[in-house]
Amino acid sequence: MRQENIRNFCIIAHIDHGKSTLADRILEKTGAIEKRELKNQMLDSMDIERERGITIKLNAVQLTYHHDGEEYYFHLIDTPGHVDFSYEVSRSLAACEGALLVVDATQGVEAQTLANLYLALDNNLTVIPVVNKIDLPSADLPKVEEELENIGFSKEEIIFTSAKTGEGIDTLLEAIIEKIPAPTGDVHKALKALIFDSLFDAYRGVIISIRVMEGEVKVGDVIRMMATGATYDVVGLSIDTPKEKAISSLKAGEVGYLSASIKSISDVEVGDTITLQSDPAAEALPGYQPMKPMVYSGLYPIDASKFEDLRDALDKLKLNDASLTAEPETSKALGFGFRCGFLGLLHMEVIEERIEREFGIDLIATSPSVIYEVLLTDGSKVMVDSPTKMPKREVVSKTFEPYVKTSIFTPSDYIGPIMELCQDKRGTFINMEYLDQMRVMIHYELPLSEIVYDFFDKLKSFTKGYASFDYELIGYKESNLVKMDILLNGEVVDALSVIVHKDFAYNRGKVVVEKLKEIIPRQMFEVPIQAAIGTHVIARTDIKALRKNVLAKCYGGDVSRKKKLLEKQKEGKKRMKKIGSVEVPQEAFLSILSTGDK
Amino acid sequence: MIRSCYIHIPFCKKICSYCDFCKLFYDTGYVLSYLDSLDEEILKNYQEEELNTIYIGGGTPSCLSICELKYLFSILSRFKRSKDCEITIEANFDSITKEKIDLFLEFGINRISFGMETTHEWILKKMNRSLDLSYVKEIICYCREKGLTNINLDLMYAFPGESIQEVEEDVSFLLSLDVNHISTYSLILEEHTSLYLQHSSLVDEDMDARMYQRICEMLKDYVHYETSNFAKDGKYSRHNLCYWNNWEYYGFGLGASGYILNIRYANTRSMTHYLQGNYRYQEEKLSTYDKMEYEVILNLRTKWGISKNKFFQFYGKNLEEVYPYQKLIDQGYLIEKDDNIIIPYSYWYLSNEIIVKLLEGCCYE
Repeated sequence: MRQENIRNFCIIAHIDHGKSTLADRILEKTGAIEKRELKNQMLDSMDIERERGITIKLNAVQLTYHHDGEEYYFHLIDTPGHVDFSYEVSRSLAACEGALLVVDATQGVEAQTLANLYLALDNNLTVIPVVNKIDLPSADLPKVEEELENIGFSKEEIIFTSAKTGEGIDTLLEAIIEKIPAPTGDVHKALKALIFDSLFDAYRGVIISIRVMEGEVKVGDVIRMMATGATYDVVGLSIDTPKEKAISSLKAGEVGYLSASIKSISDVEVGDTITLQSDPAAEALPGYQPMKPMVYSGLYPIDASKFEDLRDALDKLKLNDASLTAEPETSKALGFGFRCGFLGLLHMEVIEERIEREFGIDLIATSPSVIYEVLLTDGSKVMVDSPTKMPKREVVSKTFEPYVKTSIFTPSDYIGPIMELCQDKRGTFINMEYLDQMRVMIHYELPLSEIVYDFFDKLKSFTKGYASFDYELIGYKESNLVKMDILLNGEVVDALSVIVHKDFAYNRGKVVVEKLKEIIPRQMFEVPIQAAIGTHVIARTDIKALRKNVLAKCYGGDVSRKKKLLEKQKEGKKRMKKIGSVEVPQEAFLSILSTGDK
Repeated sequence: MIRSCYIHIPFCKKICSYCDFCKLFYDTGYVLSYLDSLDEEILKNYQEEELNTIYIGGGTPSCLSICELKYLFSILSRFKRSKDCEITIEANFDSITKEKIDLFLEFGINRISFGMETTHEWILKKMNRSLDLSYVKEIICYCREKGLTNINLDLMYAFPGESIQEVEEDVSFLLSLDVNHISTYSLILEEHTSLYLQHSSLVDEDMDARMYQRICEMLKDYVHYETSNFAKDGKYSRHNLCYWNNWEYYGFGLGASGYILNIRYANTRSMTHYLQGNYRYQEEKLSTYDKMEYEVILNLRTKWGISKNKFFQFYGKNLEEVYPYQKLIDQGYLIEKDDNIIIPYSYWYLSNEIIVKLLEGCCYE
């Protein structure tokens, strides 16, 4: 295929604006799949993606399109829409020349529409604005048009589609050919291929998604990863159409998958450049900095013997998720596990769910924490990503926590509740802009830890789901932080400790101990639950001792049934974690997170 | 060797609102064919062992007519009895008569168990029962006069809405009768009972436990020998001890359960099937592991607990090897007394917790 007839593009959008449905429609229009074959959201191959309606991992598909007697190859790279995954968005952008910016005709421009647009512009992509869902009765085209004009598009550029009915898709396909530039890059130069994704296949080892920038790679070539130095023989090259199609070579401008019997996951780094061993490129592609995790949580297998399985699962997940980090850690309460770093809460939930579902490991996750900066009395500075690493109060001189600038998009009716929420969450008001009479963008500075806690849920409930938000890290600010411990029966449960702002500690402590009282069943003895800062107890409640658990009647006819009853109790206890002599259900460890003050 | 036998008489004149036992409305037409089929079942299965205990339960065995009782006893005379065979029959005060007591004695019945449950009119009403307290006294006197001195009374407590004072009044009444055996249970709300269907809610756990404690205090002159059973003058229920000792026993009749030749079985609860001679409903073949679990669960119900010697004799393994119990002793959840491992009295009402802990640690593969 001649380079002029190739178009590499992705679709970017605010979550739920119809990105994956639009991708499906493009697949259908280009004949890649028949309508009857079309499972909803073809590109989202993971169960979780389809269930949650979000795209987590990117996918590349090659489509053939005929226009004016010419044959074109489209490489469509799907991207995640959620703010947590903006890193992956930027990865797919690096493999493209253009992007379709999808805006829901009923919702208009949202926080992530803007965030993604800026990412695309930073990557010098050609952006085509697409207003989707125009079939809906509540679609407000003039309004969305105006909003797009406000962010720099001209009326003529906008394409109106309905992914549901197929309206406007042809126009869109033509626009892709006309507006998005063909890739450039010299096929005769030394090979430079960007690794933009990878995944582990049990039979073939690591499979790498590449975009060839210069040169050509063929089956049988010996390749070298420029950052890790690892070399491999190329065993196979392929592209999804969306069925996998084997090909013999990939040339500059093309996108595809490469397999090379790579068993060692650590040899492959997303963002690295592949070159040929025999004719290496002088320098690697710029690549991109992996995003740093913002939220940390401890993951522990409920069954301690699954520790190695968990390590293996995390290694495999890290393979195509460079933003996930995992370091072994030990908890007195939970045993051996990993301190994992995530981009955000959704990222965390998705990873936990994938570990439980795809790898069959039941997990206990400790409450998420951000990274705090602690200035010690001796003048040194430590970064604290876990409450257990918080230095003793006596040696702490100052504490700092990460702040973010949030952009909240909302109908103007909800300005009051949102400001109240942000004040509650220790926010500082910056400014407010009216986009039109009905819609406002509010900017606040907020501690990241508050966002990690329950800000998003609250925002949604305060605004009946109408508000959307995005945030960016703006740095650290001094804050009066303390470590709050939870004691069960007089023993500190390290996995339940949290770092909180001192002014909020009392309230938080009260809520947590009450919540734990609800969750932890009565034991054979009274169990005090305390929240404490250092040795100072700030909240306390007691779980009363269990008074009755007996088979009152047990005669000849009851025996078998009664034994089953006891076996059931035995199974129930197996699912609990023993902390000292107290049996604690799994949910308790997340209770700190879900203590929404109802 | 089988030494005990349970006979189920599934007929009742009234159905109690809490009862989930196998029972039917008394119907003369059915009784005789039922007894025919019972005869058949015994004939087919009884292996001529000499029995130490026979227990006729229900249902309400005392609701049968004199004539039907005679037929029942003629069937049961097939059993070989040891010299001091304990023969118990269940009865209630609605249907018992002096004439029936005479008949019981004639057959050799030497223990009688009355369902009394409560003395309070409003609770009786909700239970769909009735009770005439003066008749209770009269019947118990008559039994004693005739030499039927082994008498058990059943008492139920923690009925929805019941107060601790009401429980105390019931126990005082029992004490005034001075019988030598008392069984007491807190109400269990079983599915498929009319009480369950009325969406009743039980008294809370703490109140239930207080009532139990109060009853135990008031019955201090009795030996509290099993979770729910009290006896005087050594008059333990030998038949029930067979269950708690995990010994084998026959169970004959509709819905009856038995334990013979390593099999725990339950009979059908369908009268049609039973009358057709399809007796067995399900069987559980016990592995050594199962048997040892039953041993622990059942033995720990009594004040004698598990005998280490007997355990070793029977299973060829030390109890400690199969169920390491030392930690539970250290924690005060078990007591070692000579040859026996026992649940401390103060923890009887929490025995499930301790049994589960012990079973959890099982080392038998």
